[in-house]
Amino acid sequence: METQGTRRLSREQLLKLAAAAGAGGFVGGRLGRAQAALDWLGAESGRLKVLDWAGYGNDGGQTMFAQYLKAHPGNKPQFTYMTNESDALAKLHAGVKADLFRPYVGWVKYFAESGLVQPWDPKLLKNFKLLNPFMVKAGQYKGKQYGVPADWGFDAILYRSDKVTPKAKSWSLLFDDRYKGRIAWFDDLNMLTIAGLYLGFDKPWRQSDSQLRKSQKLLMSKKKNVRLIWSSETNLWEAFGSGDLWIAYAWPNDWVQMKKKKLKVVYMRPREKPVAWVGMFMLLKGSPRRHLAHAYVDAWSSTRSAKWLEDNYGYGHANTHARPASSDLLKALQLTNPKAVTEPAAHLDRDIPRRSTYARMWEEVKAS
Amino acid sequence: MTRLRPNLTTPGLLGPPLLWLGLFFLVPIGIVAAYSVDVYSIDPGPHGFTTAAWHEFLHSSVYLRLFWKSVRMSLTVSAIVVLLAYPLAYYLALSGTKRKYVLLLLLIAPFLTSYLLRVLAWKVILGNNGVVNSFLYWTGLRSPDHPLSQLLYSRFAVMLVLGYIWLPFVALPIFVSLESLDRNLLEAASDLGASRFHGFLRVTLPLSFPGVVAAFLFVFIPTLGEFVTPSLVGGANGYMYGNQIVDLFGTGFPDWETGSVLAIFLLGVVGALSIVFARFLRPRQVVTG
Repeated sequence: METQGTRRLSREQLLKLAAAAGAGGFVGGRLGRAQAALDWLGAESGRLKVLDWAGYGNDGGQTMFAQYLKAHPGNKPQFTYMTNESDALAKLHAGVKADLFRPYVGWVKYFAESGLVQPWDPKLLKNFKLLNPFMVKAGQYKGKQYGVPADWGFDAILYRSDKVTPKAKSWSLLFDDRYKGRIAWFDDLNMLTIAGLYLGFDKPWRQSDSQLRKSQKLLMSKKKNVRLIWSSETNLWEAFGSGDLWIAYAWPNDWVQMKKKKLKVVYMRPREKPVAWVGMFMLLKGSPRRHLAHAYVDAWSSTRSAKWLEDNYGYGHANTHARPASSDLLKALQLTNPKAVTEPAAHLDRDIPRRSTYARMWEEVKAS
Repeated sequence: MTRLRPNLTTPGLLGPPLLWLGLFFLVPIGIVAAYSVDVYSIDPGPHGFTTAAWHEFLHSSVYLRLFWKSVRMSLTVSAIVVLLAYPLAYYLALSGTKRKYVLLLLLIAPFLTSYLLRVLAWKVILGNNGVVNSFLYWTGLRSPDHPLSQLLYSRFAVMLVLGYIWLPFVALPIFVSLESLDRNLLEAASDLGASRFHGFLRVTLPLSFPGVVAAFLFVFIPTLGEFVTPSLVGGANGYMYGNQIVDLFGTGFPDWETGSVLAIFLLGVVGALSIVFARFLRPRQVVTG
């Protein structure tokens, strides 16, 4: 039986201990060396706990952290799944103990200010230099790297070119009365942001009360045209692929998937610009496995993992060296343009200071 | 001299289930109620007793309209399913067929498959390229360019699937009440000159009424708070009150306070309806005159 006092160290752990002791010695002599070794032992015990989306854990996403498993074969991560950031927040408040989790860029400021997270140390991430600098910047709050960018994509419009003739390259297609019963929206409060963009508000993420009311009114009045408010891509693919839908708020991979079904589809970038989203790994405060968490995120950031993500899940990856096998996906994600996710090409999703108000108003749209 | 020994049989038998009910039913309801008045909150910031969420809910036309929409959908489903199940249960209970238990087993056979699978199967049937539309294309009644598109992702789809799912639940209590019917009463009615229809109307129906009410409640209560079926086949139009509760707890931004208000309100309405209907569950007398 293994106890703290008598635990046997593997060769790999011994090497790490030696490295930590060496680093400690460099800065603090004998005392520092001993302290660093003790720190490593005490602080990094137990299995790494990851709060992530389904499909990214031991349920098919193992390639994303293969590098981590290779380096830490005795510390297979334990996963708890989140259905969205709101769910993650509720889980964290309810006492779920995780080392890291992956909300999207619009939540970075919220979580950084919540006191639930701590910044990463980019020096511990070997692959950090390979990540898109615009996305890296989006993960910063008050100069500290709270979010490490991972997957990303766009919110734009997918439509059947054999059935639909848009009046303009605009978000207005999601509200077009001519296609009543053929339109899909996304189940997210960002629909109010999209309405704000369409209505020409200068700060759709920071709408005033009267602007929000106008956005909500637009959505409520056009909901009659909507057949499906999707929350999972498979749900969208099924309905779009079977011909039930012709127009959808969609991500680049949805276009690729529909093309694979031999449908005549266009992925339209609206003149009001698409919205780009980026998944951000965040390190939870009080994590006793800080170094392991860094190793895990570093594995995710490797070019090999990034390419796998693009090829298998159809999202972009912040690693700028990764290129998907599909030329369609390359085109839809504009992967050759590092500025694709930011102005003037797109609006990068951002903090919504009155998120709870947006959420309540979106719920009212669905209930209406 | 006899020693007084307390009778522990009743508390021994009732204790564990009551404890179970208290711990896993009443206490959670209490916790949800506490969330609804902000006594509990997932927000670590300062909070205290307030009825603000209740006030907002009771003055929100949106939530109450959604509730009313769900009530109408559940009532429609319950009424139609009871009407469909009654003849079925009647045949099984009173036709005298020797195979009634085999037929009953067939009726509940779908329960041997997963609930989710049964709901998802309807997507295959109702979709644009589903069984129904394919048949319509084949007969020439519809062209593939103009399918019956409102079959799926609609209020109709939700009610159809809920009806299908709950039909066996409805048939069983009606079957039980009809099976326990005293056949002598039917014979007496016949001897006294009542036609079969009159016998049914004045003897069978009143005596099976508690089963009908129980069956109705069996469907109405769970379908009112239903959220799985609408989320799979309902689309934007088939969204129900149960979906709203789930979404308030889990999407956008967690609003457990409002979500709890909606949940407790639903529980209150269901509880009140159960009390009202409970008086109909007592065996009725044969209608005379």
